[in-house]
Amino acid sequence: MVGHQLAGNLIQGLILGAVYGMATMGLSLIFGVLKVVNVGHGAFMMVGAFLALSTFKLLGLPPVLAVPVAFIVGMLLGFIFYRVAIKKLIKGPELSSLLATFAFGIILEEVVKLIYGSEHRGYNWALGKFSLGVTVVPYTKLIAFVGSILVAVLLYVWFNRTKAGKALRSVVEDSEGARVCGINVEWEYALSFAIGLGLTVSSGVLLTLFIPVGINPYMGGHYTLKAFVIAVLGGLESPYGAFFGGLIFGLIENGSYLLFSSFPSLEPFAMTRFFSFVMLLIILLIRPEGLLKTK
Amino acid sequence: MAKRLFSVLTCLVFLFILGVGGAGAVTDGKIVIGHPACLSGKFAKAGEQATGGIKAIVKWVNEVYGGVSVGGKKLKLEYKYYDCESKKESVTSLLERLITVDKVDFTFAPYSSGLTLAGAPIAEKYGVIYMDHGGASDKIFKQGFTYIVQTIGPGSRYHEGTLDMLHKYAPNDKKLALVYEDSEFARAVMDGAREHAKKLGYEIVYEATYPKGVSDLTPLLSALKAKKPDIIIGGGHFVDGQLFNRQLADLDINPKALSLIAAATLPAFYDALGNLAEGVMGPSHWEYGVTYSEKAAKKAGLEWIGPSQDEFVKLFKEAVGKDIIPDYHAAEAGAAVLALVKGIEKAGSLDQDKVRKALGELKFMSFYGTWDIDETGKQVGHSMVDVQWQNGKRVIVWPEDAATGKLVYPMPTFAEKAKGKKALPK
Repeated sequence: MVGHQLAGNLIQGLILGAVYGMATMGLSLIFGVLKVVNVGHGAFMMVGAFLALSTFKLLGLPPVLAVPVAFIVGMLLGFIFYRVAIKKLIKGPELSSLLATFAFGIILEEVVKLIYGSEHRGYNWALGKFSLGVTVVPYTKLIAFVGSILVAVLLYVWFNRTKAGKALRSVVEDSEGARVCGINVEWEYALSFAIGLGLTVSSGVLLTLFIPVGINPYMGGHYTLKAFVIAVLGGLESPYGAFFGGLIFGLIENGSYLLFSSFPSLEPFAMTRFFSFVMLLIILLIRPEGLLKTK
Repeated sequence: MAKRLFSVLTCLVFLFILGVGGAGAVTDGKIVIGHPACLSGKFAKAGEQATGGIKAIVKWVNEVYGGVSVGGKKLKLEYKYYDCESKKESVTSLLERLITVDKVDFTFAPYSSGLTLAGAPIAEKYGVIYMDHGGASDKIFKQGFTYIVQTIGPGSRYHEGTLDMLHKYAPNDKKLALVYEDSEFARAVMDGAREHAKKLGYEIVYEATYPKGVSDLTPLLSALKAKKPDIIIGGGHFVDGQLFNRQLADLDINPKALSLIAAATLPAFYDALGNLAEGVMGPSHWEYGVTYSEKAAKKAGLEWIGPSQDEFVKLFKEAVGKDIIPDYHAAEAGAAVLALVKGIEKAGSLDQDKVRKALGELKFMSFYGTWDIDETGKQVGHSMVDVQWQNGKRVIVWPEDAATGKLVYPMPTFAEKAKGKKALPK
């Protein structure tokens, strides 16, 4: 019975972990290229969640169709915010860009609140579900899982197989060297910020396929926190590391619940959070470059 | 020097007498009630409702009732409020200001247990009555305060009616699960539910809490599924209630009855979940459609005061300037004004201690239901109503004398609901 439950939890954890992973790729990409910590990360995911909600409720279309739209919206926001603030702050102290992204987050939250109000919203896109014996998985969650993997693979292919991707990688490795070779480093910075936010906003859409309720302007806060843990877990500068970090985080979060619930005096959910942060602390101490990053 | 010191002290004593004596003496032909209202911040929605409810009843008292009878005079009510921004520190400073600068006669608490509790020591310090209309936690009444008077029902009684009803409809379905948010309010509610369930012979097959801000309940619900409960009672606030219902559906967990606090009675709950909310219940302090009336009061041998339900709705709409139906936040704040009016009239004075004593002896009915407090000021007369989503509408299913429809039990399974089945009584 316990094994049955554990297997079920791990499957659910794997699905959620893939979404978490995909949601963190943008954060890692932006940090990797620009060394900017996007503190407004969760607010950008929230924009994606509202795009999914509007696609389904206002247009009557499947919310998954909002993924490409969200990517474009995220990229546009990325270019705008880069032009308005990040470009000027990138060479300044780290705190300036950190505060700027914090401000972007607040602006987005308030604009969305102005349009949609502060109500907790949700949608019900029912496609049915299938049983795996140990647990039941709705097809919407399966789409979120496959969608997340697909986005991660596409990013990998773009980075490694296209000229534009290779140019960006060269900037990550040595921006001065890349400049000498004729690469427009400014453009690469703007592009990576835009792609990073595009990924983040799209992940908000995929997240609602897993959890289609509780959508409100201030929902992003705790996803930001989780994304930081995952990013460190996967090696802060590597988007793929972040994806695998997400998978591990999802598995730990769901898997450890059963362990902690066997102690009657413990609040298992609180313990899973505690466990995640203890793990983060240990990783920072013994392997500060991240669990999945090669030195 | 001594002479100078004496005059300063005399002045201070005089000012002190003026300051304290302001409350209690009928001086200017009106009674002022002061309120640190939640007009912005996280409780803005409930705050808008509460101020609307108070304004509606103040208008009714002044224009229809003719004012409050004190010592042969008819005194008008005046409502003075400031925005507390849903913050504890603002509540305490605004209460100080209302009492010492504006010299209000009586005070009203803001919305929520936490904010009500924050303001209570200030009212206590100045010995001014503090009407609690939106703080349900039992903890408030365990602090030994004298001047706090509750109108909203205490948290520990939220699910008494739900369990009584289920016990009547399905006496053999005894497997109960309690799953709730790890918060002061939800714990108070579930402590009461657990105690009442044991009295009715329920077997608690599963009990677990989850922290605030949880984003995935799957591991907890997987453990719950294995226990196969007949009835699930749980929740905490708006967002986790939606998540709870949604993930029960995802994991195909089908209790015969599901009751969630706070979330389930709000229109946003059905809006977010659609058909998956069919048959889900929630306890509420008041719902439009309850059948408390002057006639019902007579039948129960209670005194009646206040407008009828429809009159209240009309006054509320005028007060907020919007065409919206008031919810329980408005009704309980309005009913608190009615209780204060009855208390003042019974005391025949504005003296805080006399009014407090009169409130302690008071028992009446209004559009909000029965009102009666115990010696700590805790509401014991008011009964919760239980609401169930049936065919997209909130139907009052308990208590029987306030019900507008019959309970649907068992509620349809989530698979049936996904295919469009509604919770309709046979």
